Amino acid sequence: MAHVPPARHLLRAKDLADARYFEPLGVDDLACAAGLSRAHFSREFRRAFGESPHAYLLTRRLERAAALLRTTDRSVADICFSVGLQSVGSFTTSFGRTYGRSPTAYRAAHPPAAQSALVPGCVVRAYTRPQHSTFREDSAPVRA
Amino acid sequence: MLRIANAQLWVHDQDEALAFYTEKLGLEVRADVTMAEMDDFRWLTVGPVGQEDVSITLMAIPGPPVLDSETGEQVRDLVAKGFAGTVFLTTDDCQASYEELKGRGVDFTEAPQERPYGIDSAFRDPSGNSIRLTEVRIPAEV
Repeated sequence: MAHVPPARHLLRAKDLADARYFEPLGVDDLACAAGLSRAHFSREFRRAFGESPHAYLLTRRLERAAALLRTTDRSVADICFSVGLQSVGSFTTSFGRTYGRSPTAYRAAHPPAAQSALVPGCVVRAYTRPQHSTFREDSAPVRA
Repeated sequence: MLRIANAQLWVHDQDEALAFYTEKLGLEVRADVTMAEMDDFRWLTVGPVGQEDVSITLMAIPGPPVLDSETGEQVRDLVAKGFAGTVFLTTDDCQASYEELKGRGVDFTEAPQERPYGIDSAFRDPSGNSIRLTEVRIPAEV
């Protein structure tokens, strides 16, 4: 058996975030999937994928929430919980920081376009996941 | 007329890939030829039973002088990061294929889900290559 590149284990953690973001999943669970200690894992994940596992998981959840806002009429609170986030307040803050507008305003700005989305779901997920913005970038929200 | 014959995936270990694509995925071996005169280069292809004219080449990442060590390491790493490519498979019944493959030990990263284009699921090969399994259902009117 050939040597397994360390990144393959990190990919298991990334896949776990993509697959089970709607569960109360945290960085500890991702580290466990990669078989690494939390501190070592966070460092290696960032080295491999260019962002922290926390940021990856959060932006995956925000991307899924944005998709649900665009394509369903479910309530903001319902969407927040269904993407694995626990607090509507934190969700609204993170969402606003990332997309530059509140979840409700975001929904209003994106009329459902069900028939225009005939690209694979994986492509939608990959290309609409927002860039993680830090607090320092608060004044200049980054759109995906 | 041009036709697609083979497309190639980098794999970390050809034996491991062969076992996965045949025993777990259920593809058949089309060619498995090791050429002593080419430094034991192994041409290994697999394809779906019943679709004779398309196959996937499971290619080992070569060392020097074909590929310098540093570049080889980069390719290995890129595959392991899951960003070296995707195979898109279709099936008549995504749920049934999902159950069958899962029963054979395929570890899905996405269970079947409704999409605008059909029912879609995903898994990876042992190296990290992404494989999608889709029951395509194009809407009549767009």
